[in-house]
Amino acid sequence: MKSLHTDSSHVFLFFIKRKESAVKLRLSVLCVPISNTQILSTYDRLGHLDFVALGRRGEMENPAIQACSLNKVFKTKIGLWKIKSKSTTAVEDISFEVERGELFGLLGPNGAGKTTTVKMLTTLLLPTRGTAKILGLDVIEQTAEVRKHIGFAFSGSRGLYNRLTAIQNLNYFAELYALEPKVTKKRIPELLELVGLNGRGDDRVETYSSGMVQRLHLARALLHEPEVLFLDEPTVGIDPVGSRELRQTIKNLISLKKTILLTTHYMAEAEELCNRIAIVNHGKIVVMDTPASLKKRVSGDSVIEAEVQSAKAPILLDTLRGLDGRSMVKLDHSAEPEKLCIRTAEPEKVLELLSPFLNPDYILGMEVRHQTLEDVYITIIQGEKE
Amino acid sequence: MIRRLVRTVRLYLAQAWLSYHGRFSITNPFGYITSKLGFPFFLMIFFIFMGKFVGFSDPLYIVIGNLLLIPANNGMAGISLAIGEERGWGTLSYVLGSPAPRAPVFIGRAIFYILDGFVTALLGFGIAAIIFRMNLGQVDFYLLTLCTFLLAITASGIGFLFGSISLITRDGWTILNTFIQALYILVGVNFPVDALPGALQKVAYCLPLTRGVMAARLVLDGAGWSAIASLIGGEALVGSLYIAAGYAFFLWIEKRSMQSGTLDAV
Amino acid sequence: MKCIRWGLVKQQMSVQLLVRTLNFFSLSLFILQPAVFSAVGMLLSHAAGNDVPDLVYSVIGGGIMGMWSGIVFTSTYDITGDRRNGMLELITGSPTSLASVEAIRTFTNVLCGFFAVLIAFSAAMFIFDYSLNGANLWGAGISLLILLFAMWCSGVFLANFLAWSRISGTFVEYLEMPVAIFCGFMFPIRVLPDWMQTISGIFPIRWALEAMNESLLGMRDVRYLAEHWLLAIGLCLLLLVATNWLQNKVQDKIRVNGELSSI
Ligand SMILES: Nc1ncnc2c1ncn2[C@@H]1O[C@H](COP(=O)(O)OP(=O)(O)OP(=O)(O)O)[C@@H](O)[C@H]1O
Ligand SMILES: [Mg+2]
Repeated sequence: MKSLHTDSSHVFLFFIKRKESAVKLRLSVLCVPISNTQILSTYDRLGHLDFVALGRRGEMENPAIQACSLNKVFKTKIGLWKIKSKSTTAVEDISFEVERGELFGLLGPNGAGKTTTVKMLTTLLLPTRGTAKILGLDVIEQTAEVRKHIGFAFSGSRGLYNRLTAIQNLNYFAELYALEPKVTKKRIPELLELVGLNGRGDDRVETYSSGMVQRLHLARALLHEPEVLFLDEPTVGIDPVGSRELRQTIKNLISLKKTILLTTHYMAEAEELCNRIAIVNHGKIVVMDTPASLKKRVSGDSVIEAEVQSAKAPILLDTLRGLDGRSMVKLDHSAEPEKLCIRTAEPEKVLELLSPFLNPDYILGMEVRHQTLEDVYITIIQGEKE
Repeated sequence: MIRRLVRTVRLYLAQAWLSYHGRFSITNPFGYITSKLGFPFFLMIFFIFMGKFVGFSDPLYIVIGNLLLIPANNGMAGISLAIGEERGWGTLSYVLGSPAPRAPVFIGRAIFYILDGFVTALLGFGIAAIIFRMNLGQVDFYLLTLCTFLLAITASGIGFLFGSISLITRDGWTILNTFIQALYILVGVNFPVDALPGALQKVAYCLPLTRGVMAARLVLDGAGWSAIASLIGGEALVGSLYIAAGYAFFLWIEKRSMQSGTLDAV
Repeated sequence: MKCIRWGLVKQQMSVQLLVRTLNFFSLSLFILQPAVFSAVGMLLSHAAGNDVPDLVYSVIGGGIMGMWSGIVFTSTYDITGDRRNGMLELITGSPTSLASVEAIRTFTNVLCGFFAVLIAFSAAMFIFDYSLNGANLWGAGISLLILLFAMWCSGVFLANFLAWSRISGTFVEYLEMPVAIFCGFMFPIRVLPDWMQTISGIFPIRWALEAMNESLLGMRDVRYLAEHWLLAIGLCLLLLVATNWLQNKVQDKIRVNGELSSI
């Protein structure tokens, strides 16, 4: 019996029990309030218990997406003559819940496991361990039901028949999702309008630019009016005006009470859209919170970046000793000229300290701004590295 | 001068290896062997039974013809596949957009296919000798090698001709394939060219391979150099005409394809 | 396969035709390649000294060959193509099962194959003066229907087998000719050595085809035909059971190793 994280006051117990009859990957999960621990011993006596995880559950009554310690290990074979097995852990113990009507963001560097997580939630991959529920439906057991209620779009130009037109492609998927022909006929023009492709519906997809393909993917995902939407990097390759429109579209979807899980590499986008964010690295969730409190979590809320003369940097660093403990000072040697980066809750004090040096012999340029999500992200990911 | 030569040779070999490896890396050894000998072998068996049914009494005739077509097939398919698959994977424009000269790139790709077809055919003769009790005793091995190799090279002219088509259309490979099938009728693989109607006989003699296959058959019957010299000469001549035409066509089409922007359409 | 609706059938068939069938590749498979095989058959016969070629085996057999190659290759390219362009993932992620999509697609391919056979028939009749005099028409008709069914079952099985893994693609391409040999597409089964005749008994296509060819050549023995039909249908049902089993396996497997989208 193994127990996992216990980091919160709202602790619930997850009982994970192997079902004898099912395939060995399939586990079932029970969530029980911690006050009911006698159940645990009952199950343990019966030998049903595989391991117990202590997990946090907020006040969510009826979450739209619920991931319980998802794990995914890929086994690949390499080599032509000498076949070697290699396993990659893409996702390790990811648990989170997304409320109905919430927009949840997954951030993280390339290869962190975002797409893999999304694929497990969209029933396209079986988790190696752990389970997930969409609208209370189990993604492993109730696959068919889950698929009716979710829509998903992955980035990239794949996933459409290039030789067909946009409308033909949409029609094709409408049938796969068993839509009534009448409904389809009405919805397709609406959707094309929504994603800004009106007028291009009768052109073959092979004549589209990559941004247009991306928009078509979104239209396809929305075809059957899914309640839960998974968008994997939806704004890749879309121009600035277009992505602003797209963000507006996403916001509108939220106002229609849809639940959205979004992955993106654009921090500004995540900051603007997401109610809550999880930053993933090496297959694990590093932090999970609202953008606002994430920003608070990392020291200070202002960022001061000063370009300095390399020879004088030690003097400046010395001067900044006077700041309180919550401020963070870092010298970036790789920049040219060298860059002093200060995160602090008291920017006035920094300015005061630095004011004697505000001349080109010491400081070449300086910028004071509020901390953005990007700063937080970079701090967290770099912190992970060290 | 020497530096340039070395560089070019390296480019040839690197391209050849990459292309070859790229094509076969997904398959395992089993896939490799079946892909080499599987299809031609079963096709040959099919033709043999067809022949048996209509009373064509000489299965060895069909066996030899089909084996001789293997190096030719590789010579043709090598270049066309090299180009066609690049298109399929969307990497064609990277290859053509790189500063590397085109001729080494694609000829280089063909080299391994040609060598490979050549080795496969010799292997095939060995296997056939065992299965069909073919008598290779009186055969001049060097002449047979020469004929097989010549077939692979003359066929590569056709490969260039059709491979170039792959630059402008995604159907290049199919067009070539259809053409290769026509060769099963025309160049005397399953039955002698004499059995063709008159007009087709003329066509057959304008194609590479026809004379080469005839020469190889003579060699297998024990003929010496003097008996096949004229056939070999004719084959080499027709072959080089096709290679020249194919290469010129390739250069021309490459220019065209830049204009029409169809390099990566799948 | 329970959720097959008419709209889905229509949509899948038209897309299948537009994307996979109405292009040079498929047309050459269904039409040009059979013509080449027929020509080889007739010229071989000529080279062997026969005056009149056997039209049933040479020409109509060529059509059957076209149907089979068409089914094998279109199925292969269906799955590998869909895998390559990410479609396989999207289809799997939709509420419609991959198996029913494959069933409809294969049906479309069989229809195209039927078209190839029709062309071969017309070629035999109008170009080579084949006459149906003396042929057992109803026997041939029923056999043809059963043959189409057998082709469909084999195609569905292949499609599921292909979804199984990337490697199976290379394997299936080399299955084309052996099946043609064992089922006697352009020559009667009796030409084969005994041990091969025994093996050929497991192919439903063989029984249906043999019944059709014999009917065209004038066979009227009801017992002979009925035996062939029953065998063909029985083997088809077995194949469907195997397909169903395979399909469940495939569903699990492709979701474990993430091969849905990898090329
Ligand atoms: N089918 C697969 N087979 C083997 N390994 C895989 C497979 N798919 C993903 N991986 C591995 O799993 C890890 C996570 O990949 P994933 O695609 O989830 O990353 P990601 O967070 O989406 O990255 P990106 O930001 O680049 O999209 C990577 O190390 C990747 O190599
Ligand atoms: Mg990703």
